[in-house]
Amino acid sequence: MPLFVKARSFLRNLFLSRRVEADLDQEVHSHLELLIAENIRAGMPPQEAQRAARIELGGVEQIKEEVREQRLGNWLRSVPSDCRYGLRQLRKNPGATAVMVFTLALAIGVTTAVFSVVYGVLLRPLPYTESSSIMAVYEVNSKGTWSRVADPNFDDFRDQNRSFQAIAKYNDNTASVSGTSQPTRTTVASVSPDFLKVFGVQPILGRDFNAGDAKKGASPAVLVSYGYWKQYLGSSRDLSRSHLKIDGAVYSVIGVLPAGFGFPADVNLWLPADLDGENPSRTAHNYSAVGRLRDGVTVELAIRDISAIARRIHDTSSEQSEYLLKDGIVVPLQDSITGKARPALLILLGAVGFLLLVACANVANLLLAQASVRDRELAIRSALGAARGRLIRQFLTEAFLLSLVGGGLGVLAAFWGVAGLVGLAPQNLPRLDSISISIPVLVFAFLLSTAVAAGLGVFTAARATSGDLRKGLVEGGRGQAGSQGSQRVGRAIVAAQIAITLVLVVGAGLLGRSLMKVLEVNPGFRVDKIVTMDVSLPWVEDPKAKAVQAIFFSNLMDRLNQIPGVRKVGATSVLPLVEGGLPDGMFLLMTQNEIPKTMDGFGALFQQKERIGNADFCVASGGFFQVLGIPLVRGRIFDLRDGADSPHVAVISESLARDRWPNQDPIGHTIEFGNMDGDLRLLTIVGIVGDVHEYGLDAPPRPTVYVNLFQRPRAAITVTMLSDADTRLVASAARGILQDLNPEIPARFRTFSQVYSASLGSRRFDVILIGFFGITALLLATAGVFGVMAYSVSRRTREIGVRVALGAGSGDVLKMILSQGLRTIFIGVAIGIAGSLVLTRTLESLLFGVTATDPLTFGGVTLLLVGAALLACYIPARRATKVDPMLALRYE
Amino acid sequence: MSPEQTSLLQGTLDLLILRSLVAGEMHGLGISRRIEQVTGGTFVVKPGSLFPALHRMDEEGWISSFWGDSENNRRAKFYRLTKPGRNQLELETKRWGRISWAIAQALGTS
Repeated sequence: MPLFVKARSFLRNLFLSRRVEADLDQEVHSHLELLIAENIRAGMPPQEAQRAARIELGGVEQIKEEVREQRLGNWLRSVPSDCRYGLRQLRKNPGATAVMVFTLALAIGVTTAVFSVVYGVLLRPLPYTESSSIMAVYEVNSKGTWSRVADPNFDDFRDQNRSFQAIAKYNDNTASVSGTSQPTRTTVASVSPDFLKVFGVQPILGRDFNAGDAKKGASPAVLVSYGYWKQYLGSSRDLSRSHLKIDGAVYSVIGVLPAGFGFPADVNLWLPADLDGENPSRTAHNYSAVGRLRDGVTVELAIRDISAIARRIHDTSSEQSEYLLKDGIVVPLQDSITGKARPALLILLGAVGFLLLVACANVANLLLAQASVRDRELAIRSALGAARGRLIRQFLTEAFLLSLVGGGLGVLAAFWGVAGLVGLAPQNLPRLDSISISIPVLVFAFLLSTAVAAGLGVFTAARATSGDLRKGLVEGGRGQAGSQGSQRVGRAIVAAQIAITLVLVVGAGLLGRSLMKVLEVNPGFRVDKIVTMDVSLPWVEDPKAKAVQAIFFSNLMDRLNQIPGVRKVGATSVLPLVEGGLPDGMFLLMTQNEIPKTMDGFGALFQQKERIGNADFCVASGGFFQVLGIPLVRGRIFDLRDGADSPHVAVISESLARDRWPNQDPIGHTIEFGNMDGDLRLLTIVGIVGDVHEYGLDAPPRPTVYVNLFQRPRAAITVTMLSDADTRLVASAARGILQDLNPEIPARFRTFSQVYSASLGSRRFDVILIGFFGITALLLATAGVFGVMAYSVSRRTREIGVRVALGAGSGDVLKMILSQGLRTIFIGVAIGIAGSLVLTRTLESLLFGVTATDPLTFGGVTLLLVGAALLACYIPARRATKVDPMLALRYE
Repeated sequence: MSPEQTSLLQGTLDLLILRSLVAGEMHGLGISRRIEQVTGGTFVVKPGSLFPALHRMDEEGWISSFWGDSENNRRAKFYRLTKPGRNQLELETKRWGRISWAIAQALGTS
């Protein structure tokens, strides 16, 4: 039973260590006695016998230590003593220890905080049962871009696939909801009946949708979120009398979903889709689709399945156009949600990893400097029988103590840091709410600290215990032993630090310059002094009801215009720079007598290349252009002439005029754009306005067709008010007016500057974070250079003294020290530039207006870094010139 | 150290100790002297190597130890071979036989 014997020995060594020790001591002594007795028997005089025996035995302590090293679980026994010793060692240099702990805490804290964001957004599984089998399904169009699904295509996917146990479509929009305590603008989702089955969710109260709820003309039913139920329905367990008025229609509440379920994000109410029937077009991409894979079906199989169905649709459909799907694709829902945020987050994680390396390098240098002072101590311990392994363990223990204390403080700092990061994060970052210091994040922090400890410990131990340790005794007291080698390593570390810092600062510089370039972009509109007000009326189909809504908006805007300080009022369907943007589609160039009688007739026209154009579709009032200061290039904007019954007019953007009507004047042409709002009346182009950076300052302006809000009314608009008065006063006055007109309509107020600022959120987030990492790394690297140079000067005091005594001037000394530092700096910078040239390519997707190898950034950052490092060299070099040769020589 | 004394090959010490214990229980010095004697003075086992080896093999369970009286009535720690120890000895002996045969072959044919 060798295992049993081993276990017994292990436990004995651990718990009966005193007895084991006494036994060993006795054994060695009895061995000595036996040797002496043997010698006496051989005829030696007692004194001689004892001497000979001692020589043969060798060092008692060494033997005992060798035996101890062999013992099972020996490493464990030495842990407490190593810790005690390590703590004493760390306390001996409180300044250095504090600096090391602080540096590690900072680096581990920041890394942990960034990891918690990466984990929360990218890695943490979605909070649904077996969430890895929930997939998003997309159409792929002829250009290869992914789009949402059209109703008939979804029906084919649903009925023909063999991969999904449940598949559903959904979309979300803002609706005004009343019938509870107060009217609210709430995000509601329209979903097909299997929606909850896809997520493996069941109502905790009431029932799920069934097929009957989704039929055209079914009595409207709604599912509510747990939070909504608590807040607005008073947690009532009797749902039979709960009704909600959503966009004018009354819905009965049929079920309450479990707490924590909220998909799509921010949705509180789920309605059945298609209560008004499906849209028969295969190119109207109105819904997103999700499905849950059958057991055993892989993503690849599902892709093949959906792709085959999609291609079949493409081959047989009569609606051939570039908007018709060409293929289908399936991706895990989690990737689909977080895909856009992934590159930037991974870059942040990489950047913080670099910062961690720079910080560890500083700590390694400090440890190394301490280790070289400990040459003598190591020599003595080694002479007393400590094996190399034991000494390495000592260094590892000290590194672990440092890292775990630093890591512990770092995690505390990370709690605070995560709150800061979440506050700073752009609002469009998906899954913001799942970012926290969770167990996996803590495990990460612990593993990170352990890895840092192992790296630092092994490194210092390997450096300090290499070579013949006992030499330290021979050269003892000189204080110069082994210093050459460790200084070379110290300089190599500093060069590496400079290189990594350069990469980080170059990255920060490129992102910063991109942000500046973005801010320089002329958006095509004014940003300041504009208050915006989102208003949505119930969704209506009937033209007469729409006209009533147009009159309502007209009244509202007239009243708003009278608020003191308000100079101009306008309205638009979607504000520029707002997430999501305008819908786009194809329009037709045609004249009044060409309007076909049937849908198929339109289909044929869309086949004629010379007739079609592509543009964003924006509903706006004439005031909108004036409020935003969008310049009129030619013709006119909407005015009082353009009433509901006059010919419908359109204003187009400059780039559309240029691209669609090259060398022609588009004014006076008529277009058909009824596929956007169902109104088939032709639009006469009456004006051309300046281009607007609609999708963000860093995206090119898109061709846009503007139609008149009072001819083409819509239920949800954003009112814009240009005002010199205080925005809060304007907002409260506007709220009062809306209340007065109709107390059931909720509104949301923002300033346009807020919208503008939010649209730069991700860019600002990246710049702030990487800039922070870069500056911190720069400070750490400068401290590293300073430390190594100061240490080197103090080590060379005697040598410098001799040089001065032999006639070297202070200029010579300065030059000598500086040139030594410069060599290190230049090596670091050279490696850093080479590394940056390779690594900044990963930033390309985040850059704007600068190339990844922007010479200005590279040059500026190099100068900054060299300057900072030179300054760090100069201070110790100055000190070296002050060395008094007499003092330096007597120093020995 | 006389030139004829050869330093011990890795693993050989274990074999020699186990082999010397076949004759019966023995204390450390006895083992050391026995090895010296049977190898004709080629191998001299110093206490610095002997004790760690003994303790390691004790923990492995190949030998067991007890306190007893030496031939001259002095207290001494004795070691004796255990059953796993005998197996180990057999294994090591075979291994050693293979190695020495192989080396003899190699030297013989050159």
